[in-house]
Amino acid sequence: MAGPGPGKALPMRRRRRRSQWRGLLYIAPAMALVIVFFVMPVLFTGWMSLHNWPLLGSPRWIGFNNYFRMANDARFVSALRFTTYYTVIVTIAIFAVAFPLAIFVEKHRRFVGAYRTIIFLPVVVGLASASLLWVWLANVDSGFIGPALKALGLVEKSPNLLATFDSAFFTIIVMVVWKIAGFTMIILLTGLQAIPSELTEAARIDGAGSWQRFRCLTLPLMRRTIALALIISVTGSILAFDQFYIMTSGGPQNRMISVVYYIFNQSFVSFNLGYRAALSIALLAILVIISVVQLRLLRVGEDRP
Amino acid sequence: MIKRLLAATSIVTLCLASGASAAEKIEMWVRSGIGESFKKVVEAYNASHENQVAMTEVPFSELVQKYATAIAGGQAPDALSLDLIYTPAFAAAGQLEDLTDWAKALPYFNSLSPSHVKLGTYQDRIYGLPLSVETSIFAWNKDLYKKAGLDPEKAPTSWEEIEANAEKIRALGDDIYGFYFSGGGCGGCMIFTFTPLVWGSGADILSADGKTATLDTPEMRKAVDIYRSMVKKDLVPASAASDNGVNFLTFTNGKIGQQSLGAFAIGTLVTENPDINFGVTLIPGVNGGTSSFAGGDNFVITKGTKKVDAVKEFLEYTYSMDGQKVMAKYGSLPTRGDIADKVLEGLDPRMQVGIKAIEVAKTPYTLQFNDLINSANGPWATFTNAAIYGDDVDGAFSNAQSEMQSIIDTGQ
Repeated sequence: MAGPGPGKALPMRRRRRRSQWRGLLYIAPAMALVIVFFVMPVLFTGWMSLHNWPLLGSPRWIGFNNYFRMANDARFVSALRFTTYYTVIVTIAIFAVAFPLAIFVEKHRRFVGAYRTIIFLPVVVGLASASLLWVWLANVDSGFIGPALKALGLVEKSPNLLATFDSAFFTIIVMVVWKIAGFTMIILLTGLQAIPSELTEAARIDGAGSWQRFRCLTLPLMRRTIALALIISVTGSILAFDQFYIMTSGGPQNRMISVVYYIFNQSFVSFNLGYRAALSIALLAILVIISVVQLRLLRVGEDRP
Repeated sequence: MIKRLLAATSIVTLCLASGASAAEKIEMWVRSGIGESFKKVVEAYNASHENQVAMTEVPFSELVQKYATAIAGGQAPDALSLDLIYTPAFAAAGQLEDLTDWAKALPYFNSLSPSHVKLGTYQDRIYGLPLSVETSIFAWNKDLYKKAGLDPEKAPTSWEEIEANAEKIRALGDDIYGFYFSGGGCGGCMIFTFTPLVWGSGADILSADGKTATLDTPEMRKAVDIYRSMVKKDLVPASAASDNGVNFLTFTNGKIGQQSLGAFAIGTLVTENPDINFGVTLIPGVNGGTSSFAGGDNFVITKGTKKVDAVKEFLEYTYSMDGQKVMAKYGSLPTRGDIADKVLEGLDPRMQVGIKAIEVAKTPYTLQFNDLINSANGPWATFTNAAIYGDDVDGAFSNAQSEMQSIIDTGQ
């Protein structure tokens, strides 16, 4: 009696196994890319983080000492604090600009294609080039903003925007919003366009005002789009580096050292590749946690809108 | 037939082989901001020699990390003009070619700039030889002095005098300023031009053995006060607060009355900005005395390069009378003491001030120079900006003092 059971099940299982292999074959190229360019570097970074690994010279195994060091590293903590501050401010600023823009360019009106193009244009400029451009714009003598303010008679003397924390931070926020808002706008636009106009019509007939329609209809229906835009924006802000490196070289009195900037300094100024690997792993963990929390909060994937 | 073919191919191979060895192309890196002298000596060498030097200019603030990563990636240039401060660190890491035997065989070895050779030596072997010598000096614009009613031929001897002169010069016009410095967190610029203020009066920022940070001294407080006061009185352009070294040579625009510069700048001014009429003197200390920073570059060869002989030929050329003359003309002080007088003969007499500065000059010796001083985010660079431009001078002192000490301690 024991014989025929497995004998009968075998072809079924074999067929299933064969189709599993075929599936694996189809995703193999993608898997290969992910393994070579993501999994292996991450594993290697993890391996490096357990060493004292100078750029020149030979690495030495030190276990988890790099992680203990991180816990007492005041400069890392202040980099985290600054990055959080920057992320919160810049994300709010980007959404505050991008949402109205998306609503503005969603409606069919004259020249809407031109508006969309103009607003989107800064996105195609590289962040480093944009930073350099703004370094010039903000230059106190030969730039544009300061001398223009002076020419308009708004200030007595052209201000050096990059010299104090507040004005330099403000300049960078304006630059990033100018550069990124167009991209967020496009994402939000696709979400807006996906809302069937019948729903809006029905709500209007039911007597909902424009604010009510926005709050009770548009926002809930756009939840997944907003989640996508939010995660892209938050992740991008946490990984911010170019603008601080190029525009302020770490800012007046080191107050603009983002986490990535600190990792860069550990790698290429202090040559502590081991410690920078530990910092990178910590940053990766932080990013994963933040993304998971965001997806949870916005309840993406649980139900269909 | 076969014999002929063989002969033909062997001739061709021979030609190819000899062709390859006849003209080598040396890849060499040099840091930006050291003036024209090195560029010009490369031009002169390429014009007169079969071997050619291909020079790449790397931003001075990134040279060390670029070179270190290039070594790690197997992409390093054959040779490098390395800030002499870093030679011990790279030699200790085993990345440089040992030049001891060749160097000691040079007939003029004993007259090469001793501080360069000392920093180029690691465990009794020589890895770096002097390429360029530079000292910091104080420069003033004689035309602006004259316009401001000051004696253009009288060099200021104290910082009180410099500040008073700066006020008179500032009164000349909206865009004319009395003083300039790169105050936006440029550690390299400030160690070069600002520490002589305290060195001249006997204080230092590191103890003699380099193991204790001694930043908070009455002399440093006074030096900071002098700069603060000049900034507060609007004698310094607003752009100085965020200048990370890119505009170190602002003096060359002719609208700055006084600035501490390097000997390289004398060469640049004389050759590139001949219309600027300027004088130079030693940088005064805050309580009298004078001092200077002795810097410059060492010539190092990357370990394992196949072009050692060609590189040596180039270095011998820079040490020749012709090479030294070209370098000196563009502001690099002679590296060979035995022919220094002859080299400077007929050149701008202001170069002599640069030579005189060597006698009073200092060079801090620490393996953590990058971390402590040069890094734009290091304690020294942060300190100079915070103490001169910030609101909390005491905080700037205590932060920098403790951070410097902690970097020194973790590096032990």
